[in-house]
Amino acid sequence: MPEQLGEYRRIAVFGGVYNNWLALEATLADARRRDVEAVFCLGDMGGFGPHPDRVFPLLWQGGVLALQGNYDESLVSGRTDCGCGYTDPRDNHYAAISYRYTFDRTATDAKKWLGTLPRHRRLKLGPHRVLMCHGSPRVINEFLWESATPSGLLRHLMDRAEADVMLCTHTGIKWHRALPDARHAVNVGVIGRPENDGRSNVWYTVLTAGPELAVEFVPVAYDHEALAREMEREGLPAEFAETIRSGWWTTCLENLPARERARGKY
Amino acid sequence: MSPQSLPLLGAERTVPTAPFLGLSTLWIQITGTWCNLECHHCINASGPRAPWLRPLDGTTVRRALAEAETVGVKEIYFTGGEPFLHGEILPLLERALEIAPTTVLTNGTLIGPEEADALAAMAARASYSLEIRVSLDDTDRALNDRVRGEGAWTKAVEAVRLMRARGLLPIVTATEITRDEHGAGPGMYERFRDFLHAQGVDRPRVKIMPVFALGRQPASGEPPLAEEDLEGFDRSVLQCADARVVTSTGVYACPILAGLDGARLSTGRLTESFVAAPLYHPACVTCRRTGMTCRNS
Repeated sequence: MPEQLGEYRRIAVFGGVYNNWLALEATLADARRRDVEAVFCLGDMGGFGPHPDRVFPLLWQGGVLALQGNYDESLVSGRTDCGCGYTDPRDNHYAAISYRYTFDRTATDAKKWLGTLPRHRRLKLGPHRVLMCHGSPRVINEFLWESATPSGLLRHLMDRAEADVMLCTHTGIKWHRALPDARHAVNVGVIGRPENDGRSNVWYTVLTAGPELAVEFVPVAYDHEALAREMEREGLPAEFAETIRSGWWTTCLENLPARERARGKY
Repeated sequence: MSPQSLPLLGAERTVPTAPFLGLSTLWIQITGTWCNLECHHCINASGPRAPWLRPLDGTTVRRALAEAETVGVKEIYFTGGEPFLHGEILPLLERALEIAPTTVLTNGTLIGPEEADALAAMAARASYSLEIRVSLDDTDRALNDRVRGEGAWTKAVEAVRLMRARGLLPIVTATEITRDEHGAGPGMYERFRDFLHAQGVDRPRVKIMPVFALGRQPASGEPPLAEEDLEGFDRSVLQCADARVVTSTGVYACPILAGLDGARLSTGRLTESFVAAPLYHPACVTCRRTGMTCRNS
């Protein structure tokens, strides 16, 4: 029997909450004002920010339809690391701090909920067949950076998935590529930390059906100073709070390709 | 070393394999084992005289690139030998960058201002990231040159400076060959990062690789992997599960074993090599143990 797909006209999609409950609150409020029919999260609720348990009530009350990210998978399975695959001890040092902090402060019922989340979602957005994933359709923690994702690979992945639109996150920096055959790949960005551009806002994506798919990246300003102060009070590394305030990434830089790395400060 | 130095396998022994999951990483061994240096630890015993693996011609490279594009390759690497000895290296890099992000592994000794200008211009106009990986085994000139040859340190460090001055962010790649010389000092990443900062290289990028017991390194004497060594191990993380290496003598399972008969999977087209790879060599034990990859990350 053919799979029954949810059908939508206009949706909001974000990734990487990273415990940033203040940005999540602001994003959900912003999405409600934009007349979207559903809000999707492509995974990674924890890491980096303060107070892991504050994001779950917001996701649940907001009716957010979520996917499991690699961070969520790690928390659920009791892994000892976030599964980002760093080899540089400096990146691993910081990743371990935030993972341990998040693991210890994520309630059992929240972990159980993360364990129920699917790794992919399919839906129809007008005429477009949409596939949602966290890293890539084939690997949960595959990084699809704009400068390191060939169009040939996107065609290959979407052929296999029988999709016209592929939505992913995981890298932390948004991008959109319209292929010549009218298919689209969109990295929807993350709302947990700014995207290494020297600005404190975060980003999510609104997609609107039509003969042509409309992809709109939406900046979200939130009380980032309050978040940075909470991070400091929680004893999280000063480097994390610096990123929230400055918009520049200070850690976990190892996987950035040359072009994305060159745009950042560190 | 020659391909004949392969360990002999007992007829009764079953060689474990890694499944082929699809071509994610294409390696082009552009200069075969032709190199202007003769490093003590070179995995394929490259050098300036009579390379045992000959360079590739441009036509073969272009054909492999086109094949790889049709199957959705994710990234392309050029290695050798020393890729910048190849007369067509720049146009071939340019062609590869039309298809996928492309990395070139170099000793840096042939990159002067003119080459750095060309690479920076290419990186700026490319659709995808161009990565330059410069091999440097130690931040100390004498320790490095003991392994890589007199003068190698100065030229490689200068290449890194020249590229950085033009906006490129080369990845300095080191093996652990001189690790024992540093006692309880800072770790390798930290030492290299501090060194690069001191050279004026902000945003330093470092990759560390284990030393493999092949090529000019003495054999480990370790037995190759057996099925029981792989119980509970996810073989899909091995690079031979989604990488292939094109050389002048065929297509091989991984960059470490390129040119060795036991790792050859095709003597013709790239797609013919899309089969399970035998984990027959003691070097496969190193990949199994360390989880290492020859990719940038």
